Amino acid sequence: MTAFQAVSVLLEDRLITLNRAVGLIRRRNLPVRSLAVGPTATPGVSRLTLMIHSDMATADRAVQHLQKMIGVRAAVAFPSREGVARELALVKVRAPHERYAELLDVVQLYNAAVVDDSPEAMIVELTGSEAFVLSCIRALERFEVIEVARSGTIALGPTPNSEINHD
Amino acid sequence: MTETLTGAQILCRALLEEGVDVLFGYPGGAIMPFYHALPEFPELRHVLVRHEQAAAHAADGYARASGRAGVCVATSGPGATNLVTGLATAHMDNTPVVAITGQVARAMMGRDAFQETDIIGITQPITKHNRLVEDVEELAEAVQEAFYVAQEGRPGPVLIDIPKDVQNQKMEWTGEQSDRRRGERLEPTGRPADRPSALQDAARLIAEAQRPLIMAGHGVLLSNAYVELRALAERTGMPVITTLLGISGFPESHPLHLGMPGMHGEVHVNRAIQQADLIIGLGLRFDDRVTGNLAGFARGAKVIHVELDPSEIGKNVPVALGLVGDVRSVLCSLLPLVAPRKCDAWRAEIQSFVRPREENFRGGLSPDVILGAIDQATGGRCSIVSDVGQHQMWVAKLFRYQHPNSHITSGGLGTMGFAVPAAMGVALARPGEPVWAISGDGGFQMNMQEIATMVQEGIPVKMAVFNNGYLGMVRQWQQFFHGRRYSATPIWSPDYVRLAQAYGIAGWKVESAAELDETVRAAVAEPGPALVEFMIEQEANVFPMIPPGGSLSEPIEGEPAPPLVSA
Repeated sequence: MTAFQAVSVLLEDRLITLNRAVGLIRRRNLPVRSLAVGPTATPGVSRLTLMIHSDMATADRAVQHLQKMIGVRAAVAFPSREGVARELALVKVRAPHERYAELLDVVQLYNAAVVDDSPEAMIVELTGSEAFVLSCIRALERFEVIEVARSGTIALGPTPNSEINHD
Repeated sequence: MTETLTGAQILCRALLEEGVDVLFGYPGGAIMPFYHALPEFPELRHVLVRHEQAAAHAADGYARASGRAGVCVATSGPGATNLVTGLATAHMDNTPVVAITGQVARAMMGRDAFQETDIIGITQPITKHNRLVEDVEELAEAVQEAFYVAQEGRPGPVLIDIPKDVQNQKMEWTGEQSDRRRGERLEPTGRPADRPSALQDAARLIAEAQRPLIMAGHGVLLSNAYVELRALAERTGMPVITTLLGISGFPESHPLHLGMPGMHGEVHVNRAIQQADLIIGLGLRFDDRVTGNLAGFARGAKVIHVELDPSEIGKNVPVALGLVGDVRSVLCSLLPLVAPRKCDAWRAEIQSFVRPREENFRGGLSPDVILGAIDQATGGRCSIVSDVGQHQMWVAKLFRYQHPNSHITSGGLGTMGFAVPAAMGVALARPGEPVWAISGDGGFQMNMQEIATMVQEGIPVKMAVFNNGYLGMVRQWQQFFHGRRYSATPIWSPDYVRLAQAYGIAGWKVESAAELDETVRAAVAEPGPALVEFMIEQEANVFPMIPPGGSLSEPIEGEPAPPLVSA
């Protein structure tokens, strides 16, 4: 069944290793929806999270290819809905004076926060699943959205991960 | 004892520690410190090629023939980029090659320096692993890692890129640096363990099948599973199909040997696949040239796939059962569980599919007859290295391979120009054994400069050129699928006999079957390299042929009628 699958990769914290992993994903023509990378609890190890829109077999094959790569400590795939998947977005948005209160209502409705407010525009921070974030951005588009920065989805799987075991 | 060594000296010692005895290379600016150190290590034989592509192919040929990593060396920039085709060839066919490239000095890197290229970036998709050595301290370990990764598990090429100043960098060498790190290598992460019952399931599927087949691929050769494959076939009576890279994994005179499958497989082989109810794939990828259109491939067959690399299992063909491991060890575990049986009715059915061959060749000089003459003149004791194209299919199908790993070719990448340089590597890996490089007139002209290398280094390769004046395989496709528009496929050749003379080697031109045996015997008797040109039928075709996109059930067995109205 085609759905969002999270592929979570623990890899050596070096640009060349990240480059290799992402190159492999491109070469194997995987339907990548988002990429996010950042440090883990283990020094020297990063986590790369890929969201791909595919069946589970495709995600499992991606894992098998990644596991062969030198510098990859561990890789797992799980259906996104079975784990916890979150994305952070920053939205710079502007509203005319008379609609400012309406904008704040939208921000509140989505549990978002205003993290910067200037006379020209405000920056709204919001967190949630990709669908939630998209829905919120759509709501904000009723005002004037100037720019959007999204982190890409990060996710943790339902079962204990092997980050610790592999060091 | 501590001594001060340069990176280049450490590199040479590390190569010796890995058991390297021959390197194929070409010097240049960024690799000069290595070449400066090389004469201090006379155990390392350096073969100066005429083009770096040939160095990579020769290292590949050496690896395929010996089972040990072949080594090639090039300078930065153009030297390194010239290795690319050879590395991609080794990558697709999983052969262990270690490539060493010089790089501009660290301080110059990233500034578009003279002869700088990002060879790490360029070769990333076509190597199993690659690595820039950033300091002399990590050099010995990088070499060990390269040889380990190239040869462990599913083999492949590894490139190490060494900046010129790292080659010149000095360090205190105690001799322990390499030992210290041995054993703590970066292992690939875990492989899934087979269910313990999986082998029993496999044995049960074999026992229950009415029309089982073995398809043997490169994994049989890579894991030395000749004895085990033969034991499985003989215990069960299952016929054995050998893929292009599986050829010579099973003796061809054996009554259970069927032949090669796929695009140019014999009709009875492909029909056997289509009729089978069980296919046991041993160390192969189910490549599209083997399966034809996947939707129509072996629709009645369950597939047991034995493969070292789990990512291959189920990649192209759905499997009933996947067994992860090298072919030899899986077969060793499986054999005791397999009950003896016979497949006589099934084999008789396959025999009824066999079609007689009808081909006309000018002067009677058919590929069959030529290969028969080579077989006879060498007593079958020779390595055959083929190039890519029509002759490759003839060489694959018509020579009777009796000895393990006696057929070497570029399968996955299909690299024209492979045969001549790869044969040099084969010859150095198998001293004393006759090696024939068989090429078409197209592929031969891609790397014929290597005759000079053979002469300078005394490498006695016999070169056969099948000359039909065309890039024959492309011409065949043009004939069948492009309305006979022979665009850019007629190809002129030099006078090969005089070319041989110019290089100072023996050369012959054979135009009829009458001259064949005597000439081939003379070439075999020649102590050094020799060249024989065979003038074959110009528009001969390779039959049968599965049209691109077609299923194995739709072979073309004769020339299509020419179009009624020319386009």
